[in-house]
Amino acid sequence: MEKPSLLPLLDARLPLTEEGVAEAARLAGVPLAQAWGVVRYYPRYRGLPQGRLLVDDPVARARGFARLLEGADGTHPPLGLEALSPIHVRIEGRERYVEHQGHRVPFQEFRLPFHLGRGERLLPPEPILDLEAYRRRGGLEGLKGLLEGRLSPVGLIQAVEEAGLLGRGGAAFPTHIKMRAVAQGAPPKYLVVNADESEPGNFKDRFLLEHHPYLVLEGALLAALATGASRVFLYVRDEFEAAIQGLEKAIAELKEAGRLPVPTEVFRSGGLYICGEETALLESMEGKRAEPRLKPPFPVEKGLWGRPTLVQNVETLANLPLILKEGPGTWRQKEPKLFSISGDVARPGLYELPLGTPLEDAVRMAGGEPGELRAVLLGGAAGVFTRELTFPLRYRERLPLGAGAIVAFGQGVDLWEVLLGLVEFFREESCGKCFPCPLGTAVQVEMVRRRERSKALVQDLAQTLKGSLCGLGQSAYWAYQSLLEVEGAA
Amino acid sequence: MRLKVNGRQVEAKEGTLLLDLVEVPTLCHHHHTETKGLCRLCLVEVNGRLLPACATQAQEGMEVRTDTEDLKALRRTLLEWLALSTDLSQAPALLELLEAHQGQPQRWGSLPVTRREREPIRDNPFFLRDYAKCVNCRRCVDACGDGIMGVYALTLEDRGLLAHPTTPLDRPLPGTPCVFCGNCVQVCPTGALRPLSMEV
Repeated sequence: MEKPSLLPLLDARLPLTEEGVAEAARLAGVPLAQAWGVVRYYPRYRGLPQGRLLVDDPVARARGFARLLEGADGTHPPLGLEALSPIHVRIEGRERYVEHQGHRVPFQEFRLPFHLGRGERLLPPEPILDLEAYRRRGGLEGLKGLLEGRLSPVGLIQAVEEAGLLGRGGAAFPTHIKMRAVAQGAPPKYLVVNADESEPGNFKDRFLLEHHPYLVLEGALLAALATGASRVFLYVRDEFEAAIQGLEKAIAELKEAGRLPVPTEVFRSGGLYICGEETALLESMEGKRAEPRLKPPFPVEKGLWGRPTLVQNVETLANLPLILKEGPGTWRQKEPKLFSISGDVARPGLYELPLGTPLEDAVRMAGGEPGELRAVLLGGAAGVFTRELTFPLRYRERLPLGAGAIVAFGQGVDLWEVLLGLVEFFREESCGKCFPCPLGTAVQVEMVRRRERSKALVQDLAQTLKGSLCGLGQSAYWAYQSLLEVEGAA
Repeated sequence: MRLKVNGRQVEAKEGTLLLDLVEVPTLCHHHHTETKGLCRLCLVEVNGRLLPACATQAQEGMEVRTDTEDLKALRRTLLEWLALSTDLSQAPALLELLEAHQGQPQRWGSLPVTRREREPIRDNPFFLRDYAKCVNCRRCVDACGDGIMGVYALTLEDRGLLAHPTTPLDRPLPGTPCVFCGNCVQVCPTGALRPLSMEV
């Protein structure tokens, strides 16, 4: 059964002493060994790097990374700031700042500039940071309908099925199947909003959390009511401090207004890419090292604390109020998807486009010249380089959309440098639980450093990483293999 | 109940582990510990999907393949990577397996950081903790904790390639709940934990 989670107990005792760790373990009711394993896993318990750090994302890699590094004390993993890249963060003790255009803004105040978002359905034309503004724009109507019995939980899941909503976190699994499985499970059940976006090139969830928290919360509450979940947790990337504060304010306002039918709280994530893998995420909520579980059983059967749990991505849930508002049929006709577009385009930012839009149109919309690009990285670190720009942006096509990252690279860019950044990212983020991933990602870095093009070696690397326990290792070679294809086609 | 293994009909009792039906190597699995599905050496193809034989039960109508070219490449490569990164000198069974799979670790070049650089830890009179030889199968951690003893004198340090067992607060073993039962040494497959009496 549910116990106090170890991570918040450790957070409350930073910087950690041996006594602090022992006390947190005692309060969480876990062996000291478990607490120590956790402390030696998550970066923030080991002490944050200090100084001015260059955010290491694919765009920075394309902008002369070695030269950029000269003005920095080290690097920081991607933060969803690709549209502003290259960018620095400064860490002084426990204080964290974003350094942007000569300004230093504390993390708790820094939001992605609103002008980066271009859409009309999921992305309203202004930020909506209070309940009144959300209501004025027709918000909470779906939730009201469900609470007042005009819509049944079964009807909501039916609408999601009719809309054909596929999970927006990258795996594109049909949302209604997960919802129905949890709805049929025995209580207590939980809903976890996966808001741990850490994929290089992606910033859509960060944008939604920072500028449209009510939309995300309404979607989460709808899903919770539809599945019978008794608690909602928003598992938010620890670095998104402004988003966390905004969500907490929004939760308080909804509660005050009597519009919070299910207890809802923010859980600060472990702050690692692997924390977004849904079973690793659950492990970290349970106070363990964020390491993927063997599946089956899947979280819809045995999730948080062994209970049926719906884990859904932010954008997926944000679509639920929209499906109800527009009706599943209309929604389906122009299925909206958020694309994070960055790199060599004149107007990097977040674009809401109907699925099926050709990649070249997306690039053009962001002010890029498709004919002048060397390649596009589609899908993020777990993505592919491609020159196939007529490709329609749709799930289950030949190329993976992932969570919707599009990074454009112009003719002057050394794609091997970009690739090196990606494979180093995987090496750093491998949890080390299974064997192929930590070994293969380490070997891969050396292969990319020496620009290894042997088909036999890359084939064996791919074959072996495919055998990894989770998606991190299973996709770690995609970019490498695709770059060789792009080179071969050039 | 019937299933097919490499095209041949096989009779099995419902719930039998695939590992007990097919000839595949394993490293992390041990009948006294709960560790499974980590080393991926026992991966087999079940109806086209890769699944660990140590964590998959036989089911009616399954089509299991253990010997595809892809699976052979995977096992060979994994063994090569282990040899590249870890000191396998006290793990004769693994070295034999590497040879049987015609492994050539050197074809991958070298790794700048490996597990081999770790100094052995001599913090008790009974056994050595020599993590240069540790493949991180976690059998020892499980045997000490949830699996056998429930003592919790071992846990895990770090992530990625450098993840390996450690003690709570990195204390010498005598300063932990360790009762020197020897279970961790018993289940270690690579000689990373070995009795000091075997040292010359």
